Amino acid sequence: MPPADLALLLTALGGLGLRLAGVWLAGGLSTEHPAIAWATAVAQATLAAFVTLAIVAPAGALADVPLPARLVGLVIGVTVCLTTRQRLLPALIAGLLAMLAVRGLG
Amino acid sequence: MTSAFLPGLREAIGAPGVAMAATFLAFGAAVQEAGLGPGWALLACWGIYGMPGQLVLVQAAAGGWAGGVGSAVMGAVAVNARFLPMAVSLTPMLSTGDRGRLLPAVPFIAVTPWAAAMRSLPAIERQARLGWFLGFGLTSWVVAGAAALAGFHLAESLGSQARAALLFINPLYYALLLAAGLNEPTPRRAILCGAGAASLALVLPASMALLAAGMVGGTIAFLLGRRHASR
Repeated sequence: MPPADLALLLTALGGLGLRLAGVWLAGGLSTEHPAIAWATAVAQATLAAFVTLAIVAPAGALADVPLPARLVGLVIGVTVCLTTRQRLLPALIAGLLAMLAVRGLG
Repeated sequence: MTSAFLPGLREAIGAPGVAMAATFLAFGAAVQEAGLGPGWALLACWGIYGMPGQLVLVQAAAGGWAGGVGSAVMGAVAVNARFLPMAVSLTPMLSTGDRGRLLPAVPFIAVTPWAAAMRSLPAIERQARLGWFLGFGLTSWVVAGAAALAGFHLAESLGSQARAALLFINPLYYALLLAAGLNEPTPRRAILCGAGAASLALVLPASMALLAAGMVGGTIAFLLGRRHASR
């Protein structure tokens, strides 16, 4: 089997195993159980860390966008989200346009 | 179940669909650049369904698997290890007693469906939640695969600037989802602690940094919440 296909198969199996393990571990527990509260906090913190790293220190093509442009896009998007009763699509478009505008000024 | 399937499907077509399409479009282009095929791009989307892990493999392929397949797989699984706490936190929201009924939902447990579910499911009747999640997850899955294929075939016409813009949409979308939780103390603690713990990336390898930041930040937030509650 070519290395790319083998890597894909093993990674897919690893991900499926993690998901199944999570469902199995949580079986029978209520949403108020401390283990569920901890897992939810870890998942939310992971997502927050992912966003922080992607905005502040991204890898790949996103690193070509200057930091001020990324930060302005983030701030404008979140501001629009919070001021439009959390309507995601307008906030997404506003944040993207703000990032592109600041990048264009650079 | 079908009555909630369609609302889930509709929810996935809005902002989540745009964010997914943009990210997977850029992924498809990266797969083409790495010399892999369109079938691999599609199977990676549907089989792994976790962008950081997918990108680890693409980067390894672009480097000719110089570090070995084993280390690439370990890195990809580690960076997608958030599937575990996400599945743990989602299961009680979806469950109606019989865990076997959740099996069709398992492949769709990933950041976008999880975040949307945590936001929308509390307002949905428990019996209808699994249908909603399947509608959302299946739609996101199809959008992701189609966008990756489009990105693969459009790779040569997408410049680095366009690709950067597409890649920006994904963290921005997640930031918007998190912003919605800032009004409540429990998610706010987790978000702030996770953002602070991201600094662990300065001292840890990239494949481990995200998992470590989530574990450390989430555990601190959980303990702070327990202390606050016991006062």
